[in-house]
Amino acid sequence: MGTFAETPGTTAIGVKPRRAPWLKRIAWRILGAIFVLWAAATFTFFVQELLPGSKATLILNQEHGTQQTYNAAQLKPVEEKYGFDEPVTTQYFEYIKGLAHGDLGDSYQQHKPVLTIIGEQVGPTLVLTVTALILAWVFALTTILLTSRRKKVISTLGSGWEIFSAGLPYYWLGVILLVVFSIELKIFPVQGGTSIEGLVLPALTLAIPLAGFIGQVTRDEFEKVLDQPFVTSARARGMGDFAVRVKHVLRHAVLPAVTLSGWALGALISGAVIVETVFARPGIGQMIVTAASNRDVPLVSGVVMLVAFIYVIANILVDIAYAIIDPRLRA
Amino acid sequence: MNRQDKNLSSSSTHPRTPRRATLSGIAAAMALTLALVLSACGGGSSATGAAGGASGTNSGNVAGAEAATVSDNTGTPKQGGTINYAHEQETPCLTGGWVQEAFIERQYADELVSQTKTGKIVPWLATSWDTSKDGLTWTFHLKPGVKFTNGEPLDAKAVVKNFEYWSDPSNGNGVAPFLHNYYKSSKAINPTTVQVTLSKPYSPLLSSISQGYDGILAPATYAKGAEAICNEPIGSGPWIIDKWTHGQNITFSRNPNYNSAPSNALHQGPAYAEKLIWSYVADPTTRYGSLTTGQSNVIYDVPAPDWAAAQENYEVQQYITPGRPVTLDLNTNQGPFAELPVREAFAYGADRKAAVESAFEGKVPYNGNGALSQSTPMQDPSLEETWPYNPEKAEQLLDQAGWKVGSGGIREKDGKQLNIKLVYGAGSLITTEGATVLEDLQSQWKEVGFNVELKPATLTQLFSGEYAAPDKYDATIGYWTSPSPAVLLIVWKPWNSKTEPNGNNQSFYNSDKLVSLIEKGNSSADPAEQKKNYFAAQQIVTKEQAAVVGVYVQETSLAVEKNLHDVWLEASQGEPVFSDAYFGNEG
Repeated sequence: MGTFAETPGTTAIGVKPRRAPWLKRIAWRILGAIFVLWAAATFTFFVQELLPGSKATLILNQEHGTQQTYNAAQLKPVEEKYGFDEPVTTQYFEYIKGLAHGDLGDSYQQHKPVLTIIGEQVGPTLVLTVTALILAWVFALTTILLTSRRKKVISTLGSGWEIFSAGLPYYWLGVILLVVFSIELKIFPVQGGTSIEGLVLPALTLAIPLAGFIGQVTRDEFEKVLDQPFVTSARARGMGDFAVRVKHVLRHAVLPAVTLSGWALGALISGAVIVETVFARPGIGQMIVTAASNRDVPLVSGVVMLVAFIYVIANILVDIAYAIIDPRLRA
Repeated sequence: MNRQDKNLSSSSTHPRTPRRATLSGIAAAMALTLALVLSACGGGSSATGAAGGASGTNSGNVAGAEAATVSDNTGTPKQGGTINYAHEQETPCLTGGWVQEAFIERQYADELVSQTKTGKIVPWLATSWDTSKDGLTWTFHLKPGVKFTNGEPLDAKAVVKNFEYWSDPSNGNGVAPFLHNYYKSSKAINPTTVQVTLSKPYSPLLSSISQGYDGILAPATYAKGAEAICNEPIGSGPWIIDKWTHGQNITFSRNPNYNSAPSNALHQGPAYAEKLIWSYVADPTTRYGSLTTGQSNVIYDVPAPDWAAAQENYEVQQYITPGRPVTLDLNTNQGPFAELPVREAFAYGADRKAAVESAFEGKVPYNGNGALSQSTPMQDPSLEETWPYNPEKAEQLLDQAGWKVGSGGIREKDGKQLNIKLVYGAGSLITTEGATVLEDLQSQWKEVGFNVELKPATLTQLFSGEYAAPDKYDATIGYWTSPSPAVLLIVWKPWNSKTEPNGNNQSFYNSDKLVSLIEKGNSSADPAEQKKNYFAAQQIVTKEQAAVVGVYVQETSLAVEKNLHDVWLEASQGEPVFSDAYFGNEG
C-alpha cells in the first residue's frame, strides 16, 4: 500500500473528487446531527431506566439524606410529581417531545431547568478544552518540526517524549504541576477559578498528554512523507529544509491528527472531570460526576446531549479543516 | 473516566468517512453514557466520592468552640476584609437534609435557639420560651424588630410557616426526622409569640431546632417554591448570598443591618469582615495548598497527612460530631449475624482502636460505643471498652457456636462458610482513610475465621435503596449526626413496621422494650430520668445485643491562618461561624 492510501479521507476522494452540491451536503449533515442527538437521547434515557432501584426512592433519600426503602404510600406523591407513574413509553415520548421543543426538563436535584444549569457551567469547560487542544497542537508541531529525522539522539528524544507524555495520567500530572508551580513556586494561583492565570496549569494538564498523542500519529506520517519524491524534487529546486518541512511535508502529515482532533475535543471533556477537581475550576466536569452519581436523569441526559452536540460540531469543523488543508477536497 | 487514549487510538485505526463520523458520534455518546453509568455503579473513584456528599445525616451537640479562640486585647476588632474559605463538597441546594447544607444555611439564616458547647440551649431569635406542665405546649417569645434581608419582618407568622414546611414529609429537610412522631401544630399568638403543640412531650425539641437545617427562612422564599428554596433562600443571618457560581464558590456580603446574633456569639451586630467567599475545593492537596499559599484564610477538613504540620502553623479546630458515630451495623435478622455469639466474636475479633489510630494518623478518635459518639450528651462512656480486641475470646465464642475452622482458616458450620458481606458507602459516607480501617480489620477478622468481603457501594446505590433489605448484607457501616440522644429513636424504630417501616434501622433489630426506653428518655423532663433510659437503651444495642459496633467518630476540622481571629465551630452541628471573625494587624 502506498503512503497516501493509508491517509484517512484521501483514498476515494483523492481519485475522484466528489461533487455533491453544497445544499445537499449541508442537509445530510443536519439530518445526521439530528439522528446522533436522537440516538444519544434515547440511549441515555433507556440506560438510566434500566438501572436497578426506583427513581422515586432515590429522590426521597437524597432529599432526606437517608438510604432506606419506602412503601407505596410514601412513594406515590413523588411518582406523581415527576410523572414516574406513567408507563415508560409515555415517559419516553414526553421526554423526546420536550427535547424537540428545546426543553431538557428540570434537574431533580437543583430544581431548575437543565438548560440553565448547563448554560452556567459549559463556558469554562469549553474555554479549557479548546485552549488545551490549541496548546496540544502547538506543542506537537513544534516537537515534530524540530526533532523529526534529525540526529538520532534528537529524534529519539522527541519520539520518546511523545510516548511518555501520551501516557501521563491527568490526575498525576495535574497534582505535580499544581504542587510545583502553584504551591511551591507560587507562580500560578492554587484555586485558579476562571482567571487567565488560572487557565494555564489546567490547560497544560490536558494538553501535554494530547500533544504526545498527536505527535506520535503525526511523526509517522511526517517521516513517510519526507521520503516522497515530491519532497526530493522540492529540495532539488533548492528549497530550504525548514521551508520543505512546513510547506510540503507538514500539510500532508497533519491530516490524520486533524481527524483525531474531533475526537480529542470530546475526550478532553472527560479529562476535564479530573482537571476541574484538582484545580478547583468551575465547569461541566464536576457536574457530570455529580449528576451521574446522584442519578439526576434530566441533567445526565442534558450533558450527554451536549457532548453529542459538541462531537457533531467538532466533526463539521474537522471537515472544513480538511478542505482547507487538502485543496483536492474543495469541490 | 480517563478514556482519552482509548478513544483516540481506536479512531486512528479507522479512516474517517462522513458516514462513519455520524456513527462514531453515536458511539462516542454511548461510550460517554456508559462511562457515566459505570461511574455511578461501580466502585468509589475519588471523583465520584468527591461529588457524593456526606449524607445520611443530621446534626449534633457539645464540643463546640465558641469563645474558645483567641481574643486579641487590641481593643475593637478591625472591620473589613474578605474571608476566603475553602470548603470541600458542594451541595445541590442551599437548604436541605444534609449536614453540608446545614453548614451553608448557618451563614445566611438564624435559628430560634442556639446550643452551647456544654449542651445548654440559649436564646437566639427566641429570647425566651415556656413549656406547659404536660410538656405538650411550647411558647416561644421572639426578638422584636428582626427583619429578613429582603425586608420582610421575621415575626410569628413567618416562624409558623417554617414549622409547617419542616413537618410536611414531602419536603426534604434535616428537622423532619426529629419532629416526626412528636410535632402536631403551631400557631402565631401575636407578632412575637409562637405556640408549638406536640402530640407527646419531647425533651430534645430545643436541641433539634438549634441545628443549621432549622434556619428561619422568609415567607417569600417558601411562596416562590422549590427552585427558590433550593437556589436563593432568604434568611435574616449575618451574611447575604450575593452569587452562587456553581462548581466554584458562593460569594456572601455582610448583612449591614444584622441585629439577631445568638446570645452565645462573640459579638452582636453585623459581621466584622466585608465579604465571605465560600469556595469549593474538593481535592485535599489543592485545599491545603490554597491555605499554605495564602489564597485561603480558612480551610475545611484538614487532610490527615497534613494534620501534624497544620497544628504548628495554623490555628486548628476540631469538632467531634455528636449523634451516631461511624458504626458497624450487624444484620440481626438473617445470615451468620443472626446468632448473638457470632456478632460478639466479630466485635472481639479485630483491633478497631489501633486500625483507626493508624489510618487517620491520630486525627480522628476511636469511638467504641456504637450507639452514640463520645460528644453526645448522655452518652454512656463505660460502653467504650465493651469489646476490646480479644482474638482468643472471639475464637472461643465461634467454637462454642459450632463454627469450626475449615479450609484456609475460614470457619464453617453445616457446610456453610462464615462469609460476611460488608457494604460501605465508598468515597461518601466512608472516606479513603475509613476504607483503610476496614481493610485493616478485614485481615484481622480473617485470622479468627471470618471471610469478610468488603463491598463498596456508590451513593446512588445507597440512595436507590439497593442495600436497604435484610438479604442484601451482613454488615454495613454509617453514621447519623444529631445534637442529642434523640437520634436513638430515629435509628431504632422497628424496621419492618407495616405502617411506617424504618430504613434507618440497619441492624434490623426490633425491640419494643428498646423503643419504649428511648421514648421515655425523649419524653422525660428530668435529666436523671432521661439519662437512665438513654443509658439502658445504649446498653441493649451495644452490649447485650451487639447489634452495633462502634469504630470512629464523624468530625469537622478547620485550619485558620493565624492573622484571622475568632472563627468558631458552633456546637449543634459543627457549622463554621464567620460573623465574629476579624483580621489582625499582620500583612
